[in-house]
Amino acid sequence: MKVEDIQAYIKSGILELYVLGDVTPGEQRQVEKMASKYPEIKAELDSIARSMELYAKENEIEPSENLRGRVLGSLLTNFGDDRNFTAAPHHEEIETEEDEEEDNTDQEDNIADLPARKEDNFYKYAFAASFTLLIASTIALVSIYGKLQDSNNQLVAMQQDKQHFASRVNLMNKALTVFRDTSYKLIHLKGTTKTPSSLVTVAFSSGQKKVVIDMANMKMPENDKEHQYQLWALVGGKPVNLGVFDAARDTVTDIKEMRPIAFADAFAVTLEPRGGSVNPTMDQMMVLGKY
Amino acid sequence: MSKKQKISLSEEELVRALRNHEKIAVEALYDMYSPSLYGVISRIVTNTPLAEDVLQETFVKIWHSFSTYSAEKGRLFTWMVNIARNLAIDKIRSKDFKNQNKNQEIENNVTFIDQYKSTAYKPELIGVKDLVQALKPEQKSIIDLVYFKGYTHVEAADELGIPLGTIKTRLRMGIQALRKYFN
Repeated sequence: MKVEDIQAYIKSGILELYVLGDVTPGEQRQVEKMASKYPEIKAELDSIARSMELYAKENEIEPSENLRGRVLGSLLTNFGDDRNFTAAPHHEEIETEEDEEEDNTDQEDNIADLPARKEDNFYKYAFAASFTLLIASTIALVSIYGKLQDSNNQLVAMQQDKQHFASRVNLMNKALTVFRDTSYKLIHLKGTTKTPSSLVTVAFSSGQKKVVIDMANMKMPENDKEHQYQLWALVGGKPVNLGVFDAARDTVTDIKEMRPIAFADAFAVTLEPRGGSVNPTMDQMMVLGKY
Repeated sequence: MSKKQKISLSEEELVRALRNHEKIAVEALYDMYSPSLYGVISRIVTNTPLAEDVLQETFVKIWHSFSTYSAEKGRLFTWMVNIARNLAIDKIRSKDFKNQNKNQEIENNVTFIDQYKSTAYKPELIGVKDLVQALKPEQKSIIDLVYFKGYTHVEAADELGIPLGTIKTRLRMGIQALRKYFN
């Protein structure tokens, strides 16, 4: 390029626009190429740049003091990382920087991805676990409910048993009391000619005016539904009604307390229509015993 | 603001120190250039917190892309001020800024005027009055639009209603005047 051309290039104003940052990337490369080729252009460019730099300095605005710490802090944080690569040759340093950038993006990817994936899995597994737990719980609940029902039934049965035994013990206590009580006298009513094998035991306490039949040890033909046995006390030759009973031995009552009476010469049992009669049917007398 | 703590190096020393990743280089870079860069940034981004953000982004970018700078390409400041100006323009064109600016327009303008005043009446800038005389108003307005406000010379021609050829001439004449003044 001739001297005139160089001057023309300088005067074109492109160097000013370059320094002002008002050029396309293509123009920028061209100016830089020209400057490296022609010292006059380089000197001109440098002079323009220096002037603009000083002009900027004239118009400088001091940023706030605390911004210095903030900016230097952000730079020196990076600086610490870069420091590790100081020993490397320059061209490798550039690569290192690029690698670092890659590393950084990788790291960022990891940071972005990992928790997200973790979160996904967490909810998936959490849902599965919850669902499994729900099913297991339901099964367990049904099975336990069944067992509880069984236990309740058993408990009811045992309570009934207990009640049964309690009442039984109660009755036996009563019976024992009767037999232990010395005021009771045992009278064995023996079978008449009608039923010689029959036997009824009566316990009579004159002092307590109590008459008790030993149901457990009774030997009597079973009465039908229309008839019942009736216990009589013979007082001065007159029969006194002491109540009815059935010969069919029911398990609950071992002894049966009859109507009270203070004196009796003898006791007798007749078979009467159900509910008993006012006067004994003498031909139906089953057993008889004297006091 | 204790000026004695500030570090200053020659441009060659600074560039070499930056290449060697010396800690002192980072501090020197900030102390030497942050006011000039901030002057450009805060004329484009008038909201102070945003302008401070841009200044920080500027230094981060300078630091990270320093390997792409070479002294053959020209002065360091020319390279750096382009980075600062482009980041500032990016900021005011960003959606964030536009939304924020709707609410803060008046406040920002007040700040902007204050900053201009404080710059104009800085006691240490004794030369400013002479500079105003050296640079004609019509040259200054064009240089300021392009250099400080980030206009292209084409946009400046539109804005001022002046033919493109005249704009280019005035730019060159203005910068010639500055060169003369600073020499």
